[in-house]
Amino acid sequence: MGFTQVYDYVAGKLDWLAAGGPIEGSSAGAPRAGGVARDDVPTCGLDERLGEVQGRVRAAGWDACVVVNQERVVLGLLRAKELEGDPASRIEAAMRPGPSTFRPHVPIAEMAHHMVDHDVENAPITTSDGRLVGLLLRTDALRVAHQSHEAEGEST
Amino acid sequence: MTQAAPVLDCSACDEAIDCCEFCDRPDCPTAICYRCLSVALRQATPELHDHGG
Repeated sequence: MGFTQVYDYVAGKLDWLAAGGPIEGSSAGAPRAGGVARDDVPTCGLDERLGEVQGRVRAAGWDACVVVNQERVVLGLLRAKELEGDPASRIEAAMRPGPSTFRPHVPIAEMAHHMVDHDVENAPITTSDGRLVGLLLRTDALRVAHQSHEAEGEST
Repeated sequence: MTQAAPVLDCSACDEAIDCCEFCDRPDCPTAICYRCLSVALRQATPELHDHGG
């Protein structure tokens, strides 16, 4: 068939999708969690104090912060409730540890549906090895899912 | 010391779970287990039947 370089992606197709690898096919252009998640979400480390992080997060106009290590692997999450904690406390004690994370290839409509159903304001999107892609906001998920649904209706 | 028994059932498969895998809440009215959520969000594929059909 003329291919000169062929690789076997041992981890499988789902891992390829979860890692944000390029895809083709009829649904390749559909909006997905990784493309809608905000990669400018504030991050902090375990050893910081909540007071320092509160200031930084609010100055950036956010009410959430993702706790990561040096490789940007997600360790915890500070949502609005956790950010209101004692400024003297260490992030490790203040954060919501081990939050549920979701892969970049999840269709945005399904994420929006679950975020409404479970009353979740935001959700961390990570690769399958736990590295932060961004924070998906419910408002963004709903807006893009709605736009996508409208566009599908117009094209049929 | 004994561990607290799970208080939730997965809304999709009735498996007993400690907390909802989507929102992490122990009192979620639409709780879902890891396996069902992974399939629902297409993060995993459903297991094949034993007979393969």
